[in-house]
Amino acid sequence: MSDALPTKPTMVTISINGKEVQAKPGTILVEAAAQAGIEIPIFCYEPRLGPPIGACRMCLVEVEGMRGLQTACSTPVAPDMVVHTNNEAAATAQDGVLELLLANHPLDCPVCDKGGECPLQDRTFKFGPGETRFVEPKRHFPKPLDLSTEVAIDRERCIACFRCIRFSQDVSEDGQLGFQERGAGTEVATFSGEPYESRFSGNIIDLCPVGALTSIPYRFVSRPWDVQNAPSVCGLCPVGCNTELTMREGETKRTTGRPNPNMTVEEGWLCDKGRWGYPAAWSADRILRPLVRDANGTMVETSLEAAVDAAARLIAASSATQILVGAASTVEDGFLAQELAAVLPNAAASRLGFPDSADLEPLRALPRAELSDIDTAGAVAVVGGDVTNRHPIVELRLRKLVRNRGALAMVGPRTSPLDARATFGARTAPGQLSSGLAVLAAALEGASAPLIIWDEADLANEPAAAAELARIATAAGARQIELAVDVNGRGLRALGLPCQTAPVAAGALVAVNADPLESPGAMAWADAIDGVGAIIAVATHRSAITERADVVLPTLMHHEVEGVLVSTTGRAQRLRPGSRGPREAAAAWELLIALSHRTGTPLPFRTPAQAFAAVAAARPPFAGLSYSVVGDEGAPTTHVAQSSAPQRSTDAVGDGIALVVTTEIFGDAVSWRSDALVSRRTPAHLVLAPQQAATLGLVQDQRARVSSPFGTCILPVVVDAQAPEGAAFVAMGPPASGTSALLAGEQVPVNVMIEVAE
Amino acid sequence: MSIQATLKGFGVTFKAMLTKPETIGYPEHKTPVHPRFRGRHRLWRYENGLEKCVGCSLCAAACPSDCIRVVAEENHPDERVSAGERFARIYEINMSRCIFCGYCEIACPFDAITLENEYELSEYDRPRDLIYTKSQLLMPHPKSVPNRTPEAANG
Ligand code: SF4
Ligand code: FES
Repeated sequence: MSDALPTKPTMVTISINGKEVQAKPGTILVEAAAQAGIEIPIFCYEPRLGPPIGACRMCLVEVEGMRGLQTACSTPVAPDMVVHTNNEAAATAQDGVLELLLANHPLDCPVCDKGGECPLQDRTFKFGPGETRFVEPKRHFPKPLDLSTEVAIDRERCIACFRCIRFSQDVSEDGQLGFQERGAGTEVATFSGEPYESRFSGNIIDLCPVGALTSIPYRFVSRPWDVQNAPSVCGLCPVGCNTELTMREGETKRTTGRPNPNMTVEEGWLCDKGRWGYPAAWSADRILRPLVRDANGTMVETSLEAAVDAAARLIAASSATQILVGAASTVEDGFLAQELAAVLPNAAASRLGFPDSADLEPLRALPRAELSDIDTAGAVAVVGGDVTNRHPIVELRLRKLVRNRGALAMVGPRTSPLDARATFGARTAPGQLSSGLAVLAAALEGASAPLIIWDEADLANEPAAAAELARIATAAGARQIELAVDVNGRGLRALGLPCQTAPVAAGALVAVNADPLESPGAMAWADAIDGVGAIIAVATHRSAITERADVVLPTLMHHEVEGVLVSTTGRAQRLRPGSRGPREAAAAWELLIALSHRTGTPLPFRTPAQAFAAVAAARPPFAGLSYSVVGDEGAPTTHVAQSSAPQRSTDAVGDGIALVVTTEIFGDAVSWRSDALVSRRTPAHLVLAPQQAATLGLVQDQRARVSSPFGTCILPVVVDAQAPEGAAFVAMGPPASGTSALLAGEQVPVNVMIEVAE
Repeated sequence: MSIQATLKGFGVTFKAMLTKPETIGYPEHKTPVHPRFRGRHRLWRYENGLEKCVGCSLCAAACPSDCIRVVAEENHPDERVSAGERFARIYEINMSRCIFCGYCEIACPFDAITLENEYELSEYDRPRDLIYTKSQLLMPHPKSVPNRTPEAANG
């Protein structure tokens, strides 16, 4: 020890159970003890929910010189503190708290879904009484009740720790949950008595330290010792939340947040789509058997071997081959498509999704930030996009930013539940983002660690706004987060896969998890598809392309495969299989390699890890990465400027009013396929401002015919007083709703004509 | 070899011919087993007919040879199967793997499973006949075995 002057210490030394522990000033005792490997039992303490509230009293410890016992979850360390977590006073208190918590607890562990992974069981085992002295009848409630269609509540088991309530009040800020009644009658309920409705409701299941809140789709499905858990990532949106997949007998039975959350990405929270999307794997339209079109033109089921052989024969017989990779394909799939195209004669690989744009380069060249940087930013500007529906977890981060007293600016044409929380918001007319940017400079100027969050599609269609935003951000020294359109759009672009915006002419088409007939530009493809010689569809579910295909090869969904996805912030993260998938299906990477073997030039890869190693060696954005480097937490890719990105045409095509599209969180194909989300699904619809609807002669729920220069569809009308005038807002809905017909493959801005549908 | 040795040998033989044999004529006659002998499993019902098993899978967790498979389901109020909130929709024991350790019996919080005394479990087909299903396990084994009474056991 040096005898330095008594300045503000950078570390304080305390003693816990006689052990010297160094901790930063302000560290909570529970954390300081954990760093020293000493466990203090807790229930309500959860830093992700905000400041500690000391509700459960589980963490009582003795601090010498302080009167009574202290709650270690809300006591910060102080210099020379002497703490006892297991002396007689502390141990008796902890034992006593547990005995009281258990007095009214039904102890129905054998029938409780939490049994075996229950903090209350574990703490009781370690710190609690061996037996109960409480022999009187316990409190009883009818059980279980449905708190929502996905969450069941068993009020007898609740220990009133406030975790679920804090989530609802302070994290998702829906404010619906609260305690009702008092004393032993205390119960968690919504204030209105209506079901709990939140896009993030499933998180309270993960948070509940007892079995009071359980998942209805997972109800009684499995017990912790019957399953294997795999750390994976969600493949349903570009955010890339880290998940844990629970597998029993070869099938995914549940998706939860990771037990040790990735604090850089999702912080342990999942949206309900990510949590309950996995049942889409056994929806009725899942392709379970390979199909080959016979001489009469009917599709017949065959073995996978025979179907791959048939596909290889079709490719070999074609003069040219186009391999089209879907937007949610893994990096390995994209790379192997490129490699296969390189060894086949006259072949090319491309991706289906949002096109590249050179105009976004100035924004992408700005320093990159992670989602966790939103928490600590002084000011964040969100330009365009629809985070609530398309990047749901970003919404939670933005809410936290506001709670942390950061400034939030929302600019763009769409309404958002965040508008109410924004310090500054500008609702701009479609195509007029620039008009909202003028004031942004002031909002970002002088803020600490400012951030811009910008939407790929909205800014690609407004190059002037993109350039202006890049200038403002540079001036303010802001970092940037891109809101990507496609799940793995970033990863596939980084591979150098060009975007396919127009139909291919002839030869064989290999569509890997891609359906151009149900994507923007669908009408052009529908006209051109007859000219395609042979169609080989590698697909998970039936869709327009599998109906037209000559060979259908069943493949695996994102929770069934091994691979890497690149998130919206540019993190490469690993998918790990949490299910074996249908017996006759194979991963796309495996099918691509098999096709290379059968067409005469075998690719030198046998596993996705080998393919990814080759990606790292051959593609600069992935340099230095490997499966072990990516690990459980992910690793950033580097942005490499795309010199060849084409200039986009950005003048709106067609007559009428501007079309603004979004996809609602529960409005996509997965939500419509998952039987766990039946009550949450939203169909495609058209949102109009009241004035606009009146001019068009449309009322709520009426059917409107929407036509663009590219196609037409009929949609129910929703009249929304919040919606800005002068624009048609279309929620895309599942593929069958035909809304993608309105858009061109280039996804340029479109104007639409709207009329009453007869 | 002398005649004495031969006679001595036959002496033993003749003596044995006159004593009561120790062997038992199985399968016509069976050795009585001790009451705590661990043989084939049995699942139990309450007197009102409801199954005691709630499908908690603790037996499967305790089983060292991993031969129990339980798939639970929620009880329907109109058609209750068990006394608890859940019941075992599938309850299977792979008898060809079971080592009759009785840990499942110890683990069961509802005394729903016990190991009975029957030991004649041989079959011709392992997957078809030796994976006992719940309905089989809920029935007593057709071939019962004699039980050794305490007196007999002591005597
Ligand atoms: S329901 Fe669970 S999370 Fe909510 S207060 Fe009760 S014990 Fe805590
Ligand atoms: S953990 Fe400290 S009071 Fe609940």
